[in-house]
Amino acid sequence: MRRYADLDWPVHALWPKEAAGAGWLAQARAWVCAAAAQSGALDGRRAGPLFVASSSLDIGLRETGLDWDGDPHAFAEAVGGWLDWRGPVFSVCNACTSSAQALLAAHGLLAGGEHDEALVLGLELPNRYTVAGFGAMQLLSERAAQPMGAARNGLLPGEAVAALSLRATPARWRLAGGANVVAGGNPAGIEAGALAQAIRQALQRAGVAAADIGLVKLHAVGSPANDAVEARVLDQVAATGVHGRGRCAWVTFKPALGHTMGASGAAEIALLSGCLAARAWPSLDYAPDPLLAPRLAEVPHAHVRHALLLFAGIGGGHAAWVLSDEAPT
Amino acid sequence: MNLGQPRSVSPPAPAWILGAHWSLAASFEAAPPDARWRQALAARLAERPRRLGVWAELGLHGARACLDAAGLSGLPEGALVRVASRSGPQSATHETAAHAARSPDGMPLPFGFIQSQPSLLLATLCRWLDWQGDGACVCSRALPVTWRLAQSEALAADAPALLLGSVEESGDELATRWWLLLRTRRE
Repeated sequence: MRRYADLDWPVHALWPKEAAGAGWLAQARAWVCAAAAQSGALDGRRAGPLFVASSSLDIGLRETGLDWDGDPHAFAEAVGGWLDWRGPVFSVCNACTSSAQALLAAHGLLAGGEHDEALVLGLELPNRYTVAGFGAMQLLSERAAQPMGAARNGLLPGEAVAALSLRATPARWRLAGGANVVAGGNPAGIEAGALAQAIRQALQRAGVAAADIGLVKLHAVGSPANDAVEARVLDQVAATGVHGRGRCAWVTFKPALGHTMGASGAAEIALLSGCLAARAWPSLDYAPDPLLAPRLAEVPHAHVRHALLLFAGIGGGHAAWVLSDEAPT
Repeated sequence: MNLGQPRSVSPPAPAWILGAHWSLAASFEAAPPDARWRQALAARLAERPRRLGVWAELGLHGARACLDAAGLSGLPEGALVRVASRSGPQSATHETAAHAARSPDGMPLPFGFIQSQPSLLLATLCRWLDWQGDGACVCSRALPVTWRLAQSEALAADAPALLLGSVEESGDELATRWWLLLRTRRE
């Protein structure tokens, strides 16, 4: 955890001290290259599309030099250069659904046969701008993130670099189907109808019945209002089988990672697959709200074949993904 | 109500359109927009859109005009929207950063911060184009590359329509271009 000197809120930090200029750039490059290498994407031809998904891109670099002009996409191109990437480079800036949306784009290209590999990088690199912005909106907690918690009082920002290498060939983890639904009624919050639509579309595209979902990875950030809306949507969809209280477990990674904003899609899918593979689960160090998520602390018992992951963000974005484990049981 | 007719054009279908799948229903270009574009937009919407910032407001102006050129009051259900921008909401970012720098607590104005997020334009289009669906802000080195990706995504989603817009803000220089593509149904 780190705090910016003049701000009240802690941040789940990538590197321990604030860095500026060349120091910031060197740290960012090291993290990006390490994550991309771990994903296996650098072992391929690097000729597929590269998606750089972020709500902030290089604003942490620009703010330290007070250089607010410039082309944000140029940073995505620079990231491609760090990786010696030969395919087309796209930047996706959909606030906190950026990398969930980028996965949808990559998934479509692979499914359509245009490419056989793609890399999605979710980046939320250190910057004061985002923390101060969310602080100004009174969305942050000064203590800790407690998604669906009884004493939840806001989110904690998280920095992250996550890389997901997508291939058209069969693998253990399959992004079976996803959806992105933008709504205009509440640009800073979750809209129940839009989230429900995203869930239903993702299930339909995955060819999975709601009753087959064995685990829900929550979006919940610790917001008093939005967490309740999300819980209600899951209960409504429960009529068709996804039931956090009765039929499958819910899990949240935000107490461990913070809300990694535009990187959350890639970061939380990566972490979920790791948890499922290892059958290791983050412990909950706070009391869940008994009205919303009485079983949040429970560990899923059975093998989870299909997991549902939810994401939402500023600008009315709502996204859902079904992640399937293709390993034989 | 016209929206600054001198800049509204319907050029031939651009080469990047995948003609086997899509047809161009309408396009709109305001590069730069007419001097009274904000007044024209407010008149078209019957109210002044508030707290959007110049960049998102310009995008809304272009999208609305493109749909008007197609004779549509709103976007078809299931349509995809893709917005590309090399600049992003530049003035909102500048103002947000400047306000934070000079305020005693180092904080920006909350509405300024939201206006600096490109995704605000997507929520704006939802509200004013009577639409809810798959929207994204995506950018690449060249617009045709971005629009090819968008068409692939729309095909994968079996979308009936695709609204594409580019919105640029560089200092006082503004430009926006929009295209509405409709899916060609093969018998």
